[in-house]
Amino acid sequence: MSAPVTAALLAQAAPLAACLIVLLALRGRPRAAAGVAILALSVATLATGYLVAVVAAPAVHQVAQAMWLPLQTGPGLAFGVLLDPLATVMAFVVAAITLLVMIYSLGYMAGDPGFARYFGFLALFGWAMLGLVLASNLLQTLVFWELVGLASFLLIGFWFERPAAAAAARKAFIMTRVGDVGFLFGVLLLVRSQGNLTIPDLLAAVPGMSPGFLTLVAALLLMGVIGKSAQGPLFTWLPDAMEGPTPVSALLHSATMVAAGVFLVARLHELFMAAPAVMHVLLWMSIVTALASATMAMVAEDIKRVLAYSSISQLAYMLMALAAGSVTGGFFHLVTHAGFKALLFMAAGILIHRAHTNDMRAISAAGGVPRAGAIGLFAGSLALSGIIPFSGYFSKEAVLATLGGHAGTAALALAYLGAGLTAYYAFRMVFLVTRGPSEASGAPHGPEAHAAGGETAMAAPVLILSALTLLLGWIGAWLAARLEPGVPWRGALEIGAGPATALALAAGGIALAWFEYGAANAPRVSLVERVSWLRDFFANNWYVDRLYAATFVRAATALSRAARWNDRTVLDGAGDGVAAGTVGGGRALAWFQSGYVQMYVAVGVSALAALALWITS
Amino acid sequence: MTLTAYLGFALALFGIGLYGLLQRRSLVAMLIAVELMLAAVSVNVIALTRLQGRSAGMGQVVVLVLVGVAAAETAIALSLFVAIQRAAHNIDVEKLSELKR
Repeated sequence: MSAPVTAALLAQAAPLAACLIVLLALRGRPRAAAGVAILALSVATLATGYLVAVVAAPAVHQVAQAMWLPLQTGPGLAFGVLLDPLATVMAFVVAAITLLVMIYSLGYMAGDPGFARYFGFLALFGWAMLGLVLASNLLQTLVFWELVGLASFLLIGFWFERPAAAAAARKAFIMTRVGDVGFLFGVLLLVRSQGNLTIPDLLAAVPGMSPGFLTLVAALLLMGVIGKSAQGPLFTWLPDAMEGPTPVSALLHSATMVAAGVFLVARLHELFMAAPAVMHVLLWMSIVTALASATMAMVAEDIKRVLAYSSISQLAYMLMALAAGSVTGGFFHLVTHAGFKALLFMAAGILIHRAHTNDMRAISAAGGVPRAGAIGLFAGSLALSGIIPFSGYFSKEAVLATLGGHAGTAALALAYLGAGLTAYYAFRMVFLVTRGPSEASGAPHGPEAHAAGGETAMAAPVLILSALTLLLGWIGAWLAARLEPGVPWRGALEIGAGPATALALAAGGIALAWFEYGAANAPRVSLVERVSWLRDFFANNWYVDRLYAATFVRAATALSRAARWNDRTVLDGAGDGVAAGTVGGGRALAWFQSGYVQMYVAVGVSALAALALWITS
Repeated sequence: MTLTAYLGFALALFGIGLYGLLQRRSLVAMLIAVELMLAAVSVNVIALTRLQGRSAGMGQVVVLVLVGVAAAETAIALSLFVAIQRAAHNIDVEKLSELKR
């Protein structure tokens, strides 16, 4: 085994070992559990950092596999690691963000009764996502894909004693499962036709596949992506996933879970691009998703819901770029978004931790925003809005440039509109939280239970990520040279019409937010919020949940009722019938067991006589 | 006397025994009836071995053993009846139907 392969295996083994040790042996010892988990993720971060340094040369592919299941239709299924710039960079992002979230959780989760269990689950999450990213085989991807779903189920429902959290965890699991069925069928179709699921082999075989087959497979795989990345019709689980602890949201919305869907599209990009019809659908679905979720974020009152809608919107931007044909654009935005979205959630967590509420107006009323929280919120929001020189500016420019080049004017215009809305809702959040009425600051605070050490543990990752929002934007050219060596990279610093328009729209959004929420005599109610039917429409997820309740949920309930009737009446009836028949038969035969010896003798003698006659005749 | 007469006698004896076994309700009377049926068997054995001729003495020996076994059986049965009488205070088979429940 070469050194990079060893490092890749080590990066996966360390979190798995930590997860097992913590969950099996250290449940009662929270400090040791956190130590083991953080140590394991440090190892993984170092190993993946080494991988980025060694493997991320342009167009390097390194596959190390062991045969698992030979097949008649092809070479068979081999499991292993696939190391290329895409996988190694993503793995490093995953490990680093997970590590930062763990350090942050030392403060945020301090004193929680499930502290050790929490760190065990985080390690599981990290392991599953690293396994997904480094997988060399599509079936392996699917396995880790489901493990990622399991880990997020466990973490969203971490406070399972609260019914809302348990319901949110169930919803996340079931809704993503709807998409995963498509993914599974896509994988099965590929196995049947190719007999091989090794990703580079599959991509090499794409030109030989028929267009109809490719369209079908791409559409099925895309179902999994839609569910995982909370896009299009399957987005409603993500806002509800807020019920988990805030650091979990920071992890789930940035580098793991929702990023898995985008990563899969980037991973199989050649396959998806060979199905232009599917990519066209994805492009327009992403545009609609981006705009719809932005409108929902405009009226949300819960700070974590604002961030959740913005995640959906930003994931849609990544998928737009991928659908328009640029791996670099989508993946670059994935990396920068991982940084600033984790940052925003962690900064929001500091405020929530202090004010003991998610409601932005209540947080503002509680007063006294900690410095680290304020810095993180501003830096993250500037990056989210795409303001130069923060990371979001560069990656969003890459996305918009791709759209301008390949997707047509209408798509580009709508994407610009979305960028403006993004800036508006991001700064609506910032101003709502930080520029509250000052007279309320004298109101009694919640109990300040956390220790000073907790504040430090929470502040450090926030400050690190704040610094990163200024740095991550500059890796675009480096990424482009490695992901798509043949494609020329246009740096976003050449201020042309596109970047200027985007910046102007973002500035306009921020200015509108300032006049409605920030200024000294601002009404703190937006125009949209004054139109009650529009506000209700946006605040209720465009009534998508209600539509599902009226259709799918009702249909499933009716089906369950029918199944229960079948179970109670037909199946139980059959069982009861057999039992009743046996009892009745027993009763009928029991008259024979009269207890009268002489009758037994009479029957016995008669039988013997009959037998004798039968034999002799 | 012909063999048929012997066998007819044995059949009559067996029939009387069977009738008694089925008719009488007292365990003691039923035991007597069983002894009658056993006697019918003994008569059959004697008659048939004698007809066969060569080893008539063997039949008599077997019957003597049968008589001994019957005596032993009677002794055991009577002791059981005593035990039943002590436990249930009666030896009427119509009332001895515990196993039915």
